[in-house]
Amino acid sequence: MEKLTVTAHMKTPFITGGGYMTFDALLAGILFDQLQDVEAAHASVPIKCTDGLFHASAAMYEPLDQSRVAFVANMRADHSLDADLFPRKKDGTMRKMGRLRRRDFGAVMNSYDSKQVDSLEWHVEGDSEEILKLIEPISFIGKRRASGFGEVHRWSIESSELDGLMGYLNEPLRPIPVERFKGNTGSLKVDAAWRPAYWHPANRAICYAPETPQ
Amino acid sequence: MNTFDFFNDNFGRLLVEQGNDPFENAAKALRSSHPLASGKNSRLGSGWAIVKEKNAVVQLKLAATGITYDDRTRFEAIIDALENWDNEPTIFMVFDKAPLPISNLFLTVDLRAVRVCTPGGVYSFDYTLEPTENSPQFYKTLYKQRMKNAS
Repeated sequence: MEKLTVTAHMKTPFITGGGYMTFDALLAGILFDQLQDVEAAHASVPIKCTDGLFHASAAMYEPLDQSRVAFVANMRADHSLDADLFPRKKDGTMRKMGRLRRRDFGAVMNSYDSKQVDSLEWHVEGDSEEILKLIEPISFIGKRRASGFGEVHRWSIESSELDGLMGYLNEPLRPIPVERFKGNTGSLKVDAAWRPAYWHPANRAICYAPETPQ
Repeated sequence: MNTFDFFNDNFGRLLVEQGNDPFENAAKALRSSHPLASGKNSRLGSGWAIVKEKNAVVQLKLAATGITYDDRTRFEAIIDALENWDNEPTIFMVFDKAPLPISNLFLTVDLRAVRVCTPGGVYSFDYTLEPTENSPQFYKTLYKQRMKNAS
């Protein structure tokens, strides 16, 4: 395992959806698409892992511009919903979806913070060849990829001095539970997920985390 | 420290019977109907709550014992808690018609990363700084009220 800096040189603005976007989460997502098994995906991430804590930083970037983008999604209830999913009437016949019910599935608006950056950077301790193999085919990262956000122009990997956990000033580079953090205890403390699956509330703890919430 | 154990120990257990699953216990407390002091029943569907170690303060007048009731506005109560910040873990909740999902439940442990949990999302802000253009509207209103209180 080597200490590395991985850089995504960006073509279009990207959307994180509010998370730290740690590099292990990015690789686990790619592996999950290939393996279709959450546990197997986490176990295959080619990054050093100490008791569940991956040596991989949060995404680091300097926003050149930031804006709100909104998307409206329309679900066509009669077309998009499987009638079998609705409970049947007592006599076993299908429920028909009336106009009122259809209105419940009307347009939904979701808005996100979009960030314009030159590049995104991560510090990691891992296997450079395996990492490169996984990220090279990836041309979009973050949320709303199908809408054109987060397009990567190219990837680069260089050697680094940082292990993905702490920076030059002993500040945390990713969420690290307070009892496991050996760096600057004046750093920001937050309630955050520190290991994958990052969306699962069970994986949250009081952590020291990077200064700028991503 | 786990957010859900903290929530259940200091608030949830006063409202609903506790099972073995801390997530389900927390979800049950947030989505169930609870007896009110008036004799009626209601979900936590309006007002606010501030939960600290062994000290839960709620605006809605529930019949449950062990909870302090406070009829100040959400902004007044949250500003007061932040102005008298004691570095102790706290959950700030603001309720609305839709139940507060447990995925939106976060502890605040640092004034630089305050989390206000609502059914529509989690408002995060740095209380030591003035709001910026990109700050949540909730914090802009909170800051305006704070300045008004100070003048």
